Amino acid sequence: MAVGTSTADGGIPAYAAQMKYSTGIARVIHSPAYRYTLGAVAEWRYGRILLLAGVPVVWMLMMHIGPIYEMLRISLLSSYPPEPGVEANFTLDNYALFFSEKLYWMPLLRSFVYASIATAVTLIVVYPVAYYVAKVVSPGGRSRALLLLLAPFWAGEIIRIFSVIMLLANRGAVNVLLREIGLTDRPIQMLYTSFSISFGLVYMVCLYMLLPLYSAIEKIPKSLLDASADLGAGPFTRFRRIVLPLSRDGIVSGCSLVFLTCMGVFAAPILLGGPTTSMFSETISSFFHGASSRWPAGAAFAMIMLAASLVTVGLFMRVVGGSKQRTF
Amino acid sequence: MRAVFLDWPGLALKSFYWLFVLYLFLPLSLMVAVSFKDASFISFPLGNLTIDWYAKVIQDKQFLDACLYTIMIAAATTAIATVIGVWIAMLIGSLRGAAQYVAFAVACLPAVVPGMISAISLRIFITTIDLPTGTVAIILGHVVHAVPFVVVMVLTRLRSMPGNLVDAARDLGADSIVTFFRVTLPYLGPAIFGGMIFCLLLSSDDFVRTFFLGGYRPTLPMLIFARVQSGMSPEINVMATLVLVVTAVVGLYAEYLTRRSRIR
Repeated sequence: MAVGTSTADGGIPAYAAQMKYSTGIARVIHSPAYRYTLGAVAEWRYGRILLLAGVPVVWMLMMHIGPIYEMLRISLLSSYPPEPGVEANFTLDNYALFFSEKLYWMPLLRSFVYASIATAVTLIVVYPVAYYVAKVVSPGGRSRALLLLLAPFWAGEIIRIFSVIMLLANRGAVNVLLREIGLTDRPIQMLYTSFSISFGLVYMVCLYMLLPLYSAIEKIPKSLLDASADLGAGPFTRFRRIVLPLSRDGIVSGCSLVFLTCMGVFAAPILLGGPTTSMFSETISSFFHGASSRWPAGAAFAMIMLAASLVTVGLFMRVVGGSKQRTF
Repeated sequence: MRAVFLDWPGLALKSFYWLFVLYLFLPLSLMVAVSFKDASFISFPLGNLTIDWYAKVIQDKQFLDACLYTIMIAAATTAIATVIGVWIAMLIGSLRGAAQYVAFAVACLPAVVPGMISAISLRIFITTIDLPTGTVAIILGHVVHAVPFVVVMVLTRLRSMPGNLVDAARDLGADSIVTFFRVTLPYLGPAIFGGMIFCLLLSSDDFVRTFFLGGYRPTLPMLIFARVQSGMSPEINVMATLVLVVTAVVGLYAEYLTRRSRIR
């Protein structure tokens, strides 16, 4: 019946036009339940802004800024968590504590040295690899060559640290191999020394160096390399005058990432290090364990570490990165 | 022609690359090899081989429980972090100038702060908001860590999106909510998928946040850490090998899917 009336009219009734081409979504947005709720919000200008910005702004203020702010606040308190009858005052004693004892500032210095060494070694080792994948491998094989380097990193932090133990333990692969060839007759102590920590750090973080370097080197136009080769520049001149300056962004972000990660490692020094190699993370965590709550001092130490690592990275970016504005 | 100039440096680079690959894979393959060792301590040479350790681990209730717990936390983290990450990326994408710069910096903050400090600050924060340590706190910590990575991935894709797609949808009468779900979200699909896989791996690998925020129920990294500290046996190698295989399969499958979508 409906068909008959519509052809007699010579037009298409509104409901038919609506339903014929409509999908599930249209049925939803034409329903009153949508139009009077979300639809109304979407029509109203401030409603749209609220919808777009509400959750992200609240989340970022609460979860991104909140914890750091809270840590800063507690680092300035004389006691925390709050106990009845004890008045918490603002004080700088927790920061003074850090400088008062060698036991406290020595680990930070050690963390700093390990992180710097690991960053330098990683840069030197990974740079040729990144260059090879980005410029020597043909574009078709590039993603496969990169995949081979990424795959070991899916295993995760703890498993990779554990696998380093297999290599360096007293009865591990390296020592057994050295004894077999006859270079040593007793195992060399490699695990639980500063060597195993540095080795483990480099093994853990080299991916963070690889990816920024790769994307920076890949962007260098091949025509520049060809042109300089035509003008008589040898491989080393080309590297020094063209590749190195143009990959500076990658070097800066790779080094910053690796340095920050190394400063924040917690499991590696515990599993690979000995008593003489304790790093600042362990010092900080000791304030948060056990019954004696010394959270304010721990928070202050964490703030010192955060400030020290961010200032170092900032200076590094300033010196190496030049004046160019960077997003990340 | 290039070969004439680059012959020996090219060869040197190639051998260096393969040496590096060997360096990356050697410890992991040694670890896998020891998991078949027929002795209760870890040492080389391997000697007799057995799969008894596998049989033992598969029946280990604590291990199975840790697997389930890890998967549950990773799934919850991925679901929440993806929604929030896309939302933040949409906000940053619509901002201009200094506001965009500030919002991007704040969004990336948890990825830049060293892991240890992030864990400590979250531990303090959950005490402030009266949240007990345990499952919810772990998920919260993992989400905070994962969100910046989703934001960066989605934002990269969002910046390559032609603006006229949204304009066309609006001209055709879709309101902004419908436009988001019918036009923008499908366009962001591959980036969101990549971000989700990244979240899964990030959450199931995380140690330091779980260590400070967790209760008594261990996740897989926590369990392996505890076992390594209490004394080593090939049992740990078996657990690590199983985790390695599963993450490798997930990673390779994700890689295969993204490559297929790129070719299309």
